[in-house]
Amino acid sequence: MGKIIAVHSYKGGTGKTLMSINLATAFVTRGKKVCLLDLDFRAPSLYAALKADGSEYWLNDYLNGVCEIKRVLIDSTEKSGLNGGRLLLGLANPNTEAIRDMTAKDRKWEMRALGRLLALKNSLLNDMELDYIIFDTSPGLQYSSINAIVSADIVLVVTTQDTSDILGTRRMIQELYDLFDKKAALLLNKTLLSTTSFEKEIKEIAIRYEKTYNLPVLQVIPCFCDVLKAGGTFIFAKEKPDHPFTKILEEITTKIEKMEKC
Amino acid sequence: MARPIEKTETKLLEKIKESLERLNEKMEVIIELQKSEQKESGAGAMPDLPETLDVMTLLSLPDHLRKTAISICKLGQATAEEVAEYSKRARAVESGYLNQLVLMGYLKKERRGRKAYFYVEK
Repeated sequence: MGKIIAVHSYKGGTGKTLMSINLATAFVTRGKKVCLLDLDFRAPSLYAALKADGSEYWLNDYLNGVCEIKRVLIDSTEKSGLNGGRLLLGLANPNTEAIRDMTAKDRKWEMRALGRLLALKNSLLNDMELDYIIFDTSPGLQYSSINAIVSADIVLVVTTQDTSDILGTRRMIQELYDLFDKKAALLLNKTLLSTTSFEKEIKEIAIRYEKTYNLPVLQVIPCFCDVLKAGGTFIFAKEKPDHPFTKILEEITTKIEKMEKC
Repeated sequence: MARPIEKTETKLLEKIKESLERLNEKMEVIIELQKSEQKESGAGAMPDLPETLDVMTLLSLPDHLRKTAISICKLGQATAEEVAEYSKRARAVESGYLNQLVLMGYLKKERRGRKAYFYVEK
């Protein structure tokens, strides 16, 4: 059976969406069937980042119990020009009214939403035989992100070297992931490297952060000017197969596959 | 030489086993009731307990109950045996925790034939 991966972080702007899109693409180019879901209902971003065509229904509708998940999904494989596997998208409604509606849900609704996210295992992984569902979550400790974490098999925490991010992430790991006994790993993004002996410094950083967070560092991702300059206008994993960032994404997908087997 | 067990005797033994299992479940409920009564008398009146098993409530539960509650969330509805299989803990332990969650108002229990099913009321 396939796996649900939640891409989460304590703060916003760490690169969750960039990682989610590129990881999904990297998996598809490996021949995997992937469903990428935008669970950031307060700041939907997949819609714009992937220039996706709207669907009749949004993920909001699925969580509201209005429709089945199949009515929400858009097959983006052809439009994205991907070969190998399959890429399905589930988008969050970017309209202001929809965002306002999602922020005003009560606890009972959130409980049902958790049930519907858990049901995706059956409908998408079991019935549709997908290999991965990737949740692009909202940052921090709010209902939608915690629901996503509880439903996921693996949580990837995207973090940076920012002090407030480090402290918040550490607390979040202790007070959230540990309590839910989650299989989690860190993606240390936008890492500034000072020396020319790249590999040695990356290893040292990984060891240091593993001690800080008491969680394995899946990958130290250097800060690439090219990635920042691109501003999310294209997908590296597809457009720039030889770029070091794409090579790193390939390493991450291999490590995730290994993580599943543990 | 041992006498072979008659069919009627096997049926009787099965009935006794069933009755003992039901008795055991009832005992577990009584024990849990006593525990919560003791807590109530020890710490004053209990506040109105929330009945919604959302993620924030899950976070506030003690570790042993959280594991049981999450198992039910993931399984939808399940017997104590199914939860035990999922959580890798003993059936009797899970039965106790499930009944405690029922008493706390987070889970519902429904008896169908010989089996008792636990679920979250949506």
